[in-house]
Formats: sequence, structure tokens, C-alpha cells
Amino acid sequence: MTSFLQNIVNALQWGSFYALIALGYSMVYGVLMLFNFAHGDIFMVGAYIGFFVSTGLVALSALGALTLPSWLILTLTIIVAMFLTSFVGMLVERIGYRPLRGAPRASAAITGLMIGIILETGNLALLGAQRVSFPALIESVTYNIGGVFVTNKKVLIVVVSLLLMFALHQFVQRTKWGMAMRAMAVDFVVVPLMGVPLNTIAALTFALGSGLAAAAGILFGVAYPVLDPYMGILFGWKAFVAAILGGRGSILGAALAGFLLGFIEIFVAAIFPSTLRDLIAYSIILLILTFRPHGFFGEAYSAKLRL
Amino acid sequence: MKSFKIFALLMIAVFLLGACGPAAPETIKIGINAPITGDIPKVGEGSKYAAEMWLADIEAAGGLEVGGKTYNVELVIEDNESKAESATKVNTKMITQDEVLVIVGPQSSKQAVPAGEVANNYSTPMVSPWSTNPNTTLDRPWVFRGCFLDPFQGPVVANFVSDEFGFTKAAVLYDVASDYPKGLAENFKAAWEELHGEGSVVAYESFTTKDTDFSAQLTSIANSGAEFFFAPQYYNEVALIVQQAHELGWDAPIVGSDSWGSAETVELCGEDCYGLFFSTHYAAAGATGATKEFIDRYEAEHGYVPDDVGALTWDTLHLVQQAIVDCGEITGDIAVDRQCVRDALASITDFNGITGDMTFTEEGDPIKCAVIVRISDAGEYEFYKSACP
Amino acid sequence: MAESTNNSSAGRKGLSVRLGKAWEPFTKVPLLGWLLGILVAVALEQLVGTPLAHLVGLSKIPVLFGFVIVLKQPVLLPGTLLYILLIYLLPVGLVARLGAALTNKLAARLLQSPLWVSAIVHVGLLYASLHMWADISDYRDLVLRLTLIAIILTLSLNIVNGYMGEFSCSHPGFMALGAYAASAFTVIFFVEDKVFGSPLLPPALGPFLFPLALIFGGVISALGALLVAIPSFRTRGDYLAIISLAFLFIVKSLIENLEILGGPRGFMSQPDWANLPTVFIWCMGSIWIINNFVSSTLGKSLNAVRDEETAANAMTVNTRRTKMVGFQFAAFWAGVAGGLFAHVMRYVNPGSFGIQKLAEMLAMVYFGGLNSVVGSIVGAVGFNLLSEALRPLELFKWIIIPLLLILVMLYRPTGLIAFREFDIANLLKPKRKSEEEVEHAIATD
Repeated sequence: MTSFLQNIVNALQWGSFYALIALGYSMVYGVLMLFNFAHGDIFMVGAYIGFFVSTGLVALSALGALTLPSWLILTLTIIVAMFLTSFVGMLVERIGYRPLRGAPRASAAITGLMIGIILETGNLALLGAQRVSFPALIESVTYNIGGVFVTNKKVLIVVVSLLLMFALHQFVQRTKWGMAMRAMAVDFVVVPLMGVPLNTIAALTFALGSGLAAAAGILFGVAYPVLDPYMGILFGWKAFVAAILGGRGSILGAALAGFLLGFIEIFVAAIFPSTLRDLIAYSIILLILTFRPHGFFGEAYSAKLRL
Repeated sequence: MKSFKIFALLMIAVFLLGACGPAAPETIKIGINAPITGDIPKVGEGSKYAAEMWLADIEAAGGLEVGGKTYNVELVIEDNESKAESATKVNTKMITQDEVLVIVGPQSSKQAVPAGEVANNYSTPMVSPWSTNPNTTLDRPWVFRGCFLDPFQGPVVANFVSDEFGFTKAAVLYDVASDYPKGLAENFKAAWEELHGEGSVVAYESFTTKDTDFSAQLTSIANSGAEFFFAPQYYNEVALIVQQAHELGWDAPIVGSDSWGSAETVELCGEDCYGLFFSTHYAAAGATGATKEFIDRYEAEHGYVPDDVGALTWDTLHLVQQAIVDCGEITGDIAVDRQCVRDALASITDFNGITGDMTFTEEGDPIKCAVIVRISDAGEYEFYKSACP
Repeated sequence: MAESTNNSSAGRKGLSVRLGKAWEPFTKVPLLGWLLGILVAVALEQLVGTPLAHLVGLSKIPVLFGFVIVLKQPVLLPGTLLYILLIYLLPVGLVARLGAALTNKLAARLLQSPLWVSAIVHVGLLYASLHMWADISDYRDLVLRLTLIAIILTLSLNIVNGYMGEFSCSHPGFMALGAYAASAFTVIFFVEDKVFGSPLLPPALGPFLFPLALIFGGVISALGALLVAIPSFRTRGDYLAIISLAFLFIVKSLIENLEILGGPRGFMSQPDWANLPTVFIWCMGSIWIINNFVSSTLGKSLNAVRDEETAANAMTVNTRRTKMVGFQFAAFWAGVAGGLFAHVMRYVNPGSFGIQKLAEMLAMVYFGGLNSVVGSIVGAVGFNLLSEALRPLELFKWIIIPLLLILVMLYRPTGLIAFREFDIANLLKPKRKSEEEVEHAIATD
């Protein structure tokens, strides 16, 4: 029983990352109907930016130039990195996606894939193959609640992720920009004709998604403090599965699917022999899609490749 | 038609002139087949840096003296992108195009097994510094390796833990998709069960390369009643495994293998790793003599303490160097020279390397001692005890 | 393009006109002429390549048109250029130009017999040239074989991603199934192996039964494709992308757990039967069959399903059957390519069939062009040669190749040669109208 509860805690943390990254995917996918295969690598860039910002701040505090408590450093890091990474996202949109708006969607996906490879290799060329260690911003404290071990980091990660998701939900539901994005998701041919600036909305979508990826990157650094240039690839592809599984343009769906993927991976590894984890976990995904062919919250629509 | 005639004449002229073309320069070429891009760029970087340091030494000495004659040495460093097909292409290219005398690399078994096939087919000596898969050298007289094999290291760890702590229940956490950890995990399991009977490995958990979350597996291990666990993983995963284990309330020992032996293990892992034991080729902190010299120099040049890959590549290159010198004469006929270097490699005994003394067996595997290292409370690798076959 | 309007481009325009004039006689050279020219060039390389290379200051024949040498030692650029000019460009140009009259006549004569006769003559010439070219060095041979395999793979992925219009990520999985199945077949039947024991059949029979092994690999892979094809009845487009991705993860995990096939340690000791002629024949066969498939009714119904599934259904296209056949056909060829790959490498490892491979395959398809057989060939050959030629750049290779691909996508969003039918008859026909044809044309006017 304790191990079951323990695994729920584990899965909540692991699912938070999938959910946050899947949200970024889902934003772009929902509004522009595009696969942003560079998203996993934007996550990586966000984590690295977070690494530099926090290392800088920690160094400054150590020098005594400014005295910041560690929670403030973390908050500042998240804000600055989200801000900077959203520009990376907008740049990717400007270079790789905007010129291809009339082209088949798959072509844009390939451009994204290639931008991702450039980001990885560029990082490798600039920083070398050395893996970097994310600074320990919070002292890890472990609480033992009836045999279930919970750390302050885990609580922080889950809470911050949920807060970010809630904020995004509010933004999309309550603001004018959010309304424009929702409208665009319904029809991106007619809605621009009604005066909604397509390019601005597209850039905003990428910026929001990338900001979330950066937040995920920093939280990732807090939980798993080893960063390398290729960290985003597999994570990105798995989050892609979660994003589509959630249903097109559904924030709730993507978040739930992210958590679901986390739960499936953790519980399959815990219950079955862990060598079979991927085999069983993805067979479950396959089964879900066989019986719910349009994901959880997606409408039954026919996605056309605009050829 | 006139142009055609001129062309034909030109061709004949070329043919005649070419027949008395310049002789090949007096250079010994050594190929380095390393994963500079792809999954494990760090390994490629370590190999490349070690090779460049070795070359700098040779150049400082004015070249390599073989049989009273001094030769220039040229390194042909090629990137295998951490892909099997790329590694075979690189080997084929280096052997047939660059006409290297001997190849050092590829490092991981995924590349070394197919690349070894190529080297063996073309009768070119190849030494993989890091590949632990038995298939790399099996039935291949031309292929050697610079490290010990998994079947040796598994029992070393099992014996050490039994003697040192008197434990009887073990758990293992390893990467199922990666050749090296999997082999070691299996060998450890076999050795442990031989010592303590069937079922004494109470948890045998795995994950897949590039995973970062091991909480489910660690929860199972923690609940299995194991007294310690063995994690034959690479340094980047070690940091995550150890920290996550502690966060899940695990306070028993965690034991590792030679892949822990990178400076980065402690750098990435921090205080969580202090006091843990692992088996390895060499211990950086307790190093003396040539080993220390190498480590200090590498650190001065590249800013970090070298991994085992760097040290093994360094040793392998010296091994190759000795074989070339032992050979006594470079004839210029590449096939003869390769044969000569291979025979010299196979007959090397008691080679004194920075990762230990080596003698090759029939199969081309070295007989080496392993050392057990403890990570001290200051985060340094201390020599604890040594285990020889 | 704006350049044709202003004055500054006048010089360039003049140049292009002159270039066009110089090129004009070559437009009358039929494919046969070019092939003959290439044959002469490679024969010449065999005869005088090495001395010529020494003469221009190179130690060996430049192995991949000099890229590898020049990127490492830029000083050798003039020598390499001279070599390329003398060995390749001049002979090909001369033979093609001077022999045009003869080859045109020959091509016309050949076309009078059934098309396949002409096709076989052309393919034979091509093989002869490739064989001689690859004979110079084993490195060329290996690169060539892997490129030919990449052609099969790209074609088969194009069936799904181009002709059927789905975004499938499962191809490395199909390839892995084929590779392992074919390897198991040959190792069990013909090789003395530690796991499987002594061969069941005399190994001497092996090379003759090797096609069976490849077909077996293809069939297994086609069966695996059911796992993707059946959910695709109800799911389209984007959901299919993740189904296929899940399939890829499943196959990789499955092989990692199959200890009898070596698990993560990989599977080796495949016999060395995938030599150049074998790979070449399979590659040409796949081009021929796939081209026939996509231009058949079934191929057209693939396009119909892509463009509008509901309408296709209304027009009596059996969409289920079409998708099923499309997937299985593509998977079959991916499996064959996997089998060939395994026997070229003589070692397979589940790690070789992951996301990295997927990115590479997608790049080849979209680089060459969707919905086009020629495009796939161009994509596979271009990508492979480029990636081999830029190898000396190490890290920067993986910045330059993606950049090039992005540029291709920006300027030709569906790839270099997309949506073009591969008309074999048109390709092989003589380029200069013979007198009879002209008379015929006048008569019909």
C-alpha cells in the first residue's frame, strides 16, 4: 500500500513535466494545427538559460553583491528564463514556420525537426560535450509520511506546474488574446479576415508554449540536475504523444494526458518487470487510441494535410 | 574530334608521368574512430583530447622512433555519430583510403562490434579502449581491447560486498537498452546468486537510456528488502539515481562499477555520493606517478579531470605505440606493417599503463586488475582495495 | 525572382544565356548517351586514375569527388578540381556530346522492342558504371550499398507520407522487424551459431535462398504493420502519427527484451551475402515495383484517400482496403531494406532503429520530394552523399545539413522534385527527333 502511494507521488512529479511540455505542444497544435518538433529542444534551451541565470545569481549572492534568498533566486530564474525562451520560440516561428504557412503541415514539421537538430548541435559546439550540473537552489528536505517519502522539491514542482497550467487556462479563457487564440483554433482562414492579426497570434502562441517549456526545463533542473544537449529529444517526442492524446487544442486534455502518460510509465515499471516498461506502456497508448480514436477531448474531425 | 585527340594524348602523358610519381611520405597514420556527435559526445570528446595529448607528446619528441628511424605521426580522427553504420563506414574509409596502420576505437560496443568485423576483414589491427562486449574481440585475431570484460568485474563487486558488509540480499538497477550496464548487471547477478543462492537478488530493475526518473524502480527496490543495490551506470545517471534514492528514504549502500569513475560523478552528484564504493580501472584521487601526471595535465588543458574513457584511450595509444616500436621496422608496405603491429600487440606482456598493468590473452582481451574505490567525505576517489583475477 | 528586372543583373543574364547556349547541344543527349559517358569516365578512372591523382598532387584517387580531401586539406583544391575535370566532366561531356547521334539512334532502336528490353539495357549500363566506380575502393562500395538501401527506405516511406498523406513515424520499427527477421532466417538456416546451433540447410544453398530471407523479413514487417494499419481505420492524420510513434517504441522495447536475438547487445554473424549486385538488383526491383504500384489504380486510390477520404469512399474506393494495402506494402519494402541493411552491416542492434533514424528518414523523404519516385531517389542519394562528403566537418555537419534542408523547405515546401510521375518511357526515349518522326509529324498535321 505504501509503495502504491509512493508511486502516486512519483507519478505526479513525473507527469508534471510531461504535462507542462505537452501544453506547449498543444498550444501550437491547437491554434495553428502544426507539429512543433523543435519544442523538445526549446525545453532544452530553456533549461540551459535557466542554468546560466541561476548560476549567475548564485555567484552574485556568493560574492556578496546582492543577498537573495534561494526561493527568490528560483522565482527570478523562472521568470527571466521564461521571458528569454519565449523569444527563442518566436524566433523559431519567424524562421521556420511563418514562411511555410501555406505549405503542407508536414513540411513545417520537418523544418521544426531540423531547427531542433541545429539547436542541439549548436549547444554542443558552443558549450562542449560537458554535461552541466544545475545548481541546487533549494535544500532538499524529505518528509516521511507514514512510509511515503515526499520531498519539498516534489511538492514545489507539482504546485508550480499546476499554477502555471491554471494561469494559462485563465489567460486563454479570460483575455482578449486568449479569445483570439481560441477563435483561430476554430478557423484560421476566416478569423484573420475579421481583424485578428494572425502573425501576432502565432508568435504569441509560440511564445507562451516556449515559456512553459522553459519553466518545465528549470523545474526539471531542480528535480534532475543533470543537463545535456540531447535531453529534450526523447522527452519532446513523448510529450508530443501526450499532446495529441489530449485532443486538439484542449488545455485540460493535454495536461491530463501528460499526467496520464506519467502515471502509465511509472506504474507499468512498478507492477510489471521494468524491462518491459516501454513495450507495455505504449501498447496501452495504442489501445486507448484504438478505442478513443480522437483522444480525450478532441472532436471527431478529419485532419487534412493541406496539400 | 581534335579535342578528343588532345585529351587522349594528355591521358597517355599522365599515365607515363604518374608511373614515376612521388613516394609516400614517411608518416605513420593512426585512426581514431570516436563518437563526437550523437548520444555520447562526452565520450568522443574525452577520446579526442587524450589522443591529441598523446600526439603532442610524440611531436615534442620529434616523432616516433622505430628501428632507428624517426617517423611523423598523423592522427586521423573521424566522427562515427554514435551510429553503427557510421562506425563501419569510418573504419572502411580509414583502412582503405587513409591507409592507417592501426585503429583506436570505437568506444561503445554498439559501434565496436560491427566496426571490429570490418577491421578484422581487412586485416587491420584495431584496439577499442572502452568496449566491454565479449563479441567485439571474439574470434577476431585483429581486434583488441584496452579494458577488462564484464564477466570479470561482476564477481569482483559481488565478492567485495559480501566480504566487506556481509550482506546477503542484493538489488540491481540498470539500463536495459545499453549494452554495458546490461552485461554487467547480468554478470553481477550470476556471481551474487552463486555466492548466496538462488533468489538472493531480490530486485532486478531496469530503465531505458535517456530516462531521468527512476522513482518507480527505486520504490520497488526499497520495498524488496535489499540490503544494498548495484547500479552499473554512467556518471550522469549515477547522480540522478543516488539523489532520487536518498529522496525516497534509501540509506543503505549503493555500489557502482567502473563507469562511475569520471570526475563528473561527484561534480554532478555532490554530497549524496560521498561514502559510496565502486570498482574501476584506476582511482583518480589516490593516483601517483604517470597516472597523476596524466590527470593533472588533462585537467590543466581541458578544465576537468578525465573520465575513464580518456585514461583508457591514453593507455591504448601507448600500447599501440609500444607495439609499433616493438615491431622494429616500418617497411612502407601497409599489409606487412599491419601484420607486424598485430603480432607485436598480441605479444605485449606486463604493459605498464596508467589504468593498470596489462597482458593480452588469446582473444585479445587484457588481463588487468580492478580496484575498489571509495568516494571520500571530501568527494575524492580513494583507493580502497585491489582485486586481481 | 526580382533579379531579371534591373540593370545590374544584365551581365548575369548574358552569362546565363551563354551558358544556356553552351548547354543546348547537351539537351539532345538521351539518357543512354549520359550513361555511356559515365561508363567511359569510370573506365578511364580505373585505367589512369591513380597516376593522374599522383600527377595533380593527390596521394590517392579522390574517393567521393574530392569533398573529403578538400575539406581536410584545402590546399589540394586545384589538384582535385583538375582531377574531377579530367576524369569525370570532360569524358562524360565529350562522349555524351559526340556520341549523341549514335546513342539517339540506338535509343530509338531499343524502344522499338518492348520497354523492358530498353530498361534492362539502361540499368545494365548503370550497374556497369557503378560497379567500376565502386571497384576503386571498398569505402565507395559500402557507401554505395547503404545509399541504395536508403533509396528503398525513402521510397517506402514516401508511399505512406507522400502518396497516402499520413504522417507516419513507424518506419524505423518496420525496418527493425525486417532486419531481425531476415537475420534470424539466414542465421538459423545457414550459419553455425552459438545460440541457434548448426545450420539446418547446407550453407552453400544460402546465397540462392537469400531473397527468401529478405521476403520473409518483409512479410514479418508487413504483419507488424497491421498494428498500425488497423487503428488507422478509425483514426486519421495526427492521431496516426502518435500511433506510429508508439509502435516504434513498442518494437524497440520488444527487441530489447528478446534475449534469443541478442537483446540490447545486438545480433551478429549474418552471412556476407548483401554484396553490390544483390543490393543493386533489389533496389532497382523496388523502384520498378513501387513505381508500378503508385501509378496503378490502387496507387491512385491512395491519393484519393489522402485528398478526401469521404469523397473517395463515396466514389467506391474501398478506403479500408486501400489503407491496409498501402501500409503493408510500404512496411514490406522497409522490411526488405532492413534485411539488406542487416546483411551489409552483419550486425544489428535495437539502438540503430530509434528516433535518430526516424529523423534521418523523414529528412530524406521531404528533401527529395513528396509523392514522387524520382524525388525519393534524389533525396536518398543527395542526403547520403552529402552526409558522407561533409563528414570531415564533424560537429558542423549537423548544422549545415539541417540548414540546407530548411532552405529546401522554405523555397520548395514539398521537396525538390515533388508530385512528379516517373515516366520510364519518356526517360529512355531518344532526345533528337529522327527524320521519320518529323515526317510522321508533318503527315499527321
